[in-house]
Amino acid sequence: MPLGIIFKRAFRDIRQNLVTHIMTTIVVALTCLVFIFFSIFSLNLQRIADRFGRELAIVVYLKKDIPQNKIPSLYQKITSMKEVEKVKFISSEEAFKRLENYFKDEKEVLEGVDPLFLPPSFEIQINRAVYNPSRVRAMAKELAQWPEVQKVQYGKEWVDRLESFSEAVRAAVIASAVLLLVTAAFVVSNTIKLTVYARQDEIEIMRLVGATNGFIQGPFLLASFIQGVTGSLVALIVGLFCYKYVYGIIGQTELIKSLDLQYLPPSYMAVIVLVSGFFCMIGTAMALRRFLKL
Amino acid sequence: MLSGDQSVIELREVQKKYAPDIVPLENVNLTISKGEFVFLTGPSGAGKSTFLRMLYKAEEPTGGTIIIDGVDLSSLSKSQIPQLRRKVGVIFQDFKLLYHKSVFENVALSLEVLGFKKDQLANRVRQVVEGVGLSSKLHRKVVQLSGGEQQRVAIARAVVNRPPIILADEPTGNLDRKRTMEVVTLMEELNARGATIIFATHDETLFKNTHRRVLYIKDGKIEER
Repeated sequence: MPLGIIFKRAFRDIRQNLVTHIMTTIVVALTCLVFIFFSIFSLNLQRIADRFGRELAIVVYLKKDIPQNKIPSLYQKITSMKEVEKVKFISSEEAFKRLENYFKDEKEVLEGVDPLFLPPSFEIQINRAVYNPSRVRAMAKELAQWPEVQKVQYGKEWVDRLESFSEAVRAAVIASAVLLLVTAAFVVSNTIKLTVYARQDEIEIMRLVGATNGFIQGPFLLASFIQGVTGSLVALIVGLFCYKYVYGIIGQTELIKSLDLQYLPPSYMAVIVLVSGFFCMIGTAMALRRFLKL
Repeated sequence: MLSGDQSVIELREVQKKYAPDIVPLENVNLTISKGEFVFLTGPSGAGKSTFLRMLYKAEEPTGGTIIIDGVDLSSLSKSQIPQLRRKVGVIFQDFKLLYHKSVFENVALSLEVLGFKKDQLANRVRQVVEGVGLSSKLHRKVVQLSGGEQQRVAIARAVVNRPPIILADEPTGNLDRKRTMEVVTLMEELNARGATIIFATHDETLFKNTHRRVLYIKDGKIEER
């Protein structure tokens, strides 16, 4: 059957049952909106966890009295570890300079302080490709046992916590996605069923005059796809406005700015639109199959 | 076997049972030729509608073979049924029209399912509606028409796609004498143009003095009168 006729009949159905179709589209939009809020939260949390994970460094403070000639061999030893991406040696003098920079205009507080009072250290950047919390933990433990090492410091615990929280949120997003999409499909399929009930006579006559199943089902499937797509687009637009509004309120602080929060990426939005349309169509196809005994 | 030349409808040992004691058709053998006009009669509930419904596969026979235009209906899959129904125009006693749609929309439905283009479709519908004498009411809603006019819309819808076979199931059952004769005349015109027609009716006056074949159905048997 030509696509033109399917489109014509689908739009005629929508026009004739406009209120029902609008109500269904609103329900689909609300369903998608809940999912979108979960997704924004989860994706940004993941971004933050990724960023801090990437920037995670282990600082190995050496004993102050460590002989200078031991430094290169320690450097070699650390570099040879496969978890290590980059190692930087910070001498006591350089550490002091950093401290001076930190105080900037209030450098005078450091007057009279011995420039060598800070211990030398190694700043170790973890290789992201082989990043594994348990291996990093074991590595830090091993480093702490070296006789030349005074202390090992790293912010792993809270990054781990952030990651596991973000994992939990992601799982919740996936679960909610399945639940909400099934709900959307159920709602749309029921609306279509109502339309089918209302047009039972017409469907029977169409069958008697030789209409194929495609001719009968096509407009219903297209109408439900349009509902799914429209509903998700409305949800994405409302979601964007809400995001901008909330960001306008909380986004002024330096902390939030530094987190570089973002709305959903375009590819993610495209997937939401297509999946919503597709699920609504599947729900309708199942309802029609049962109802029309195809 | 009741037969004619160049058969377009053929029944071999056809049987239909609803329950062991309800047998509307029993071992029916029948052949209807191309271009024939056949009356099918019998008391109410004798199985006229069942017989016709089996010819467009709205019902399945319990046994036997039905061949329409050379095709054994039992060999048709569900997806092939629409092809059969495009060859068989059906007119119902209760019209089966969409009452809140116009005459044009009702008649056009048969062509829409065939994928007719807009202009082509409009021309064909106008031509057929004119043929049944309703051109002045083309855009009226069916609900606003009289019973006779509604039946003519149903006839227009059944013939607009020019099916070679027309099955009329008590098409005059709800009409007065004048309207009844109009419908019969219309059916005769369609037959004159080459359509094979089975006209089911229990109104004996319609075929009392006819030269056409009359099939009488009673107690599961079909006899020629």
